[in-house]
Amino acid sequence: MSIGKGILEIKNLSKSFIVDNNPLQVLNDINITIPPGNFVSIIGSSGCGKTTLLRIVLGLETNYEGDALIDGEQIEGPGINRGIVFQDHRLLPWLTVGENVAFGLDGKSRKETEVIVDEHLKLVGLNGFKSAYPCQLSGGMAQRAAIARALANKPEILLLDEPLGSLDAMTRMHMQKELERIWLFEKITMILVTHDVEEAIYLGDKVVIMSSRPGVIKKIIDIPFTRPRDRSSYEFMQIKSEILEEFHLGVEHPFIYSI
Amino acid sequence: MSKSLLKRFEWKDKLLALIVPLLVLVAWQSAVSLQLFSEMILVPPLTVMNTLVDLARTGDLTNNIISSLKRVLSGFLLGASTGFFLGLLMGLSSLLDRFVGPLIKACKQVPQFALMPLIILWFGIDEVSKVVFISIGAFFPMVFNTYQGVSGVPKKYRELARVFNYKSFRYLTKVILPGALPSIITGVRHSLGLSWMFVVGAELFGSESGVGYMMVWARQLFQIDIVMAGLFVIGIIGFTMNIILQIIEKRVLRWRVSFDGRMA
Amino acid sequence: MLVSITLPVRLILFWQLITSTGYVSPHILPLPKNVIKIFLSLFSEERLMLHIVISLRRVMSGFLIGIAAGFSFGLLIGLSRTGEKIFAPFFHALRQVPMIGWIPLIVMWFGMSELPRILVIAISAFYPMALNTFTGVRNVPSEYIELASVYGYKRLKLIRRVIIPAALPSIITGITLSLGMSWVILVAAELLIETPVGIGRLISNGRETCNMEQVLVGIITVALLGFIMTMMIEKLAKVVERGRSIHQEL
Repeated sequence: MSIGKGILEIKNLSKSFIVDNNPLQVLNDINITIPPGNFVSIIGSSGCGKTTLLRIVLGLETNYEGDALIDGEQIEGPGINRGIVFQDHRLLPWLTVGENVAFGLDGKSRKETEVIVDEHLKLVGLNGFKSAYPCQLSGGMAQRAAIARALANKPEILLLDEPLGSLDAMTRMHMQKELERIWLFEKITMILVTHDVEEAIYLGDKVVIMSSRPGVIKKIIDIPFTRPRDRSSYEFMQIKSEILEEFHLGVEHPFIYSI
Repeated sequence: MSKSLLKRFEWKDKLLALIVPLLVLVAWQSAVSLQLFSEMILVPPLTVMNTLVDLARTGDLTNNIISSLKRVLSGFLLGASTGFFLGLLMGLSSLLDRFVGPLIKACKQVPQFALMPLIILWFGIDEVSKVVFISIGAFFPMVFNTYQGVSGVPKKYRELARVFNYKSFRYLTKVILPGALPSIITGVRHSLGLSWMFVVGAELFGSESGVGYMMVWARQLFQIDIVMAGLFVIGIIGFTMNIILQIIEKRVLRWRVSFDGRMA
Repeated sequence: MLVSITLPVRLILFWQLITSTGYVSPHILPLPKNVIKIFLSLFSEERLMLHIVISLRRVMSGFLIGIAAGFSFGLLIGLSRTGEKIFAPFFHALRQVPMIGWIPLIVMWFGMSELPRILVIAISAFYPMALNTFTGVRNVPSEYIELASVYGYKRLKLIRRVIIPAALPSIITGITLSLGMSWVILVAAELLIETPVGIGRLISNGRETCNMEQVLVGIITVALLGFIMTMMIEKLAKVVERGRSIHQEL
């Protein structure tokens, strides 16, 4: 893989909030380097600071200690080299789907904008919904539109904050496939925060396991499988139980099931 | 809410809706026929209609309506635009909100009709004082609703705008104003409704033209048919204004209409 | 809390500031101390008290009649769909007539007496009360009504024990709005339907004699009274709300 732009380096990163006049450490000494084009899943129980980590990379949280660098430059605020998909789709209800996808595009001619919007709606499989309003979309469709919006700016790093968390199980599995397809097509870095172990393994080149209070990286597991991955393969189940073990939720004998 | 009621009406409901107006008309007409009241207190419904037609024919009515509408429009535009900008600024700047907000709330405590004599002392009894009076009526609902709408735009949308590097103008036109729009439109509706009430009040108080003036004059001459015709006219105009605003609201808030399937 | 205490002080200081520079003619805005002087003299003559008592009586009678009627009507069209279909359209059509517009007609019917003043105030208190009672009743969650029917509640008990308590917040909003409306229309009624006493009379007397101080005394008095009554209603609403939450905890 050729080294493009957008290498993310996080060094000795710590962050604390003031809660009721007391400092509360949410991230402690985080170290990780993510080369361009990687898919990294971050997994952890609630309160482990994974969303905070994402918000730091996004530039919404500042005042951290340590380094958060993109191509060697400190992150100081939001920028269009990073895109985000939130758990709630956050489509603006007063804009059409097309206008929402174009939300981040600035200084482009109308024609260029049209082209980019159409291209991305097609990529996420929403062609034909351009002039619909968000309230007319299902949860999965709204999340697709949100992904299109995040990709329209051609970010180098796409951050995914539990993007599939509010979808039903079947839609969710389908969307995981879609995410993989989009990632393979766009060839950009994606960082996925999730609490679903299977999703983390299915999508990630690496799975980062975090534990809470304060949030630290407990373990980083490489996922060597070829894509598309088989959720029911023995190796897959093996890794899944290994990760669950980290949360003291391991099963004695991983069993194989098929869908 | 009235509109959602009206919209769901079937023909059967329309018939039911006619019962009360018909009863009122029948009672009215029979009270006249039985000569329960003198001519000075109650005239037949038909006489009111005839008077209305006569007034329209001579052009009196049209002229009075036009001068009332002119007043209400200038007063509304003045008051509502001031209210809008102040509400917007208060919603955007917490500093301004803290300084001006309580002051405006205190001023709202004054029943605005009490200001009429004061305004007359300040601006004289001519057109200016009426427009100022109406604009005060228009100001308050607009400033509060705009403020509420602007400060009520969810944080998640503001955050989104930050992620995409939105600067002030784009932020305002794409995120804040559309988000505040439902509340702003409510403000416009209340504001226009109050303007219409205030113009009638101002004209009753002292004026040489307008529908309110027509009614006062008729009252002094004991022409109850004209008073009733005037009442009918101001009701119809108020109703029309409301309908026009509803149509605008429906168009502008399309994204929300489809959301819950009915207007708030 | 701090803001609400210091605000009048700040206002008076601001007022003092702009008048004492001398740029503003005392005919436009008199000095605060002159207004206070007039206020005290009116107060000591007991004339002010008389104006206040008469106005309060007017506003209270109109307000009480209006909310009683508004509550009953709102309940009626809220409880009965047919009632709604028969009465609501006429009600909404009538609502389009600005309250003030009724004054000439009512005066012709009842003369320049106390009755038309109270009637206009009652009409203005009626609309918000009816509308909010209706909305409150209609928004009672159907689960509560189902529950009550499971326990065999009869109509009257259902209304008393379930519907009205559940609609209470909206009803209280209606009362507050009605009160505000009553104050606005009180002054209009006193100015437009001539009366020898009342705060409105005090204000228009002041205007006729170009006595700016008296006009301001009237305006401030009316604002303060309205404010105090609104506060009282809001306190009452809080007490009721608290009673409800305690009730829920039990």
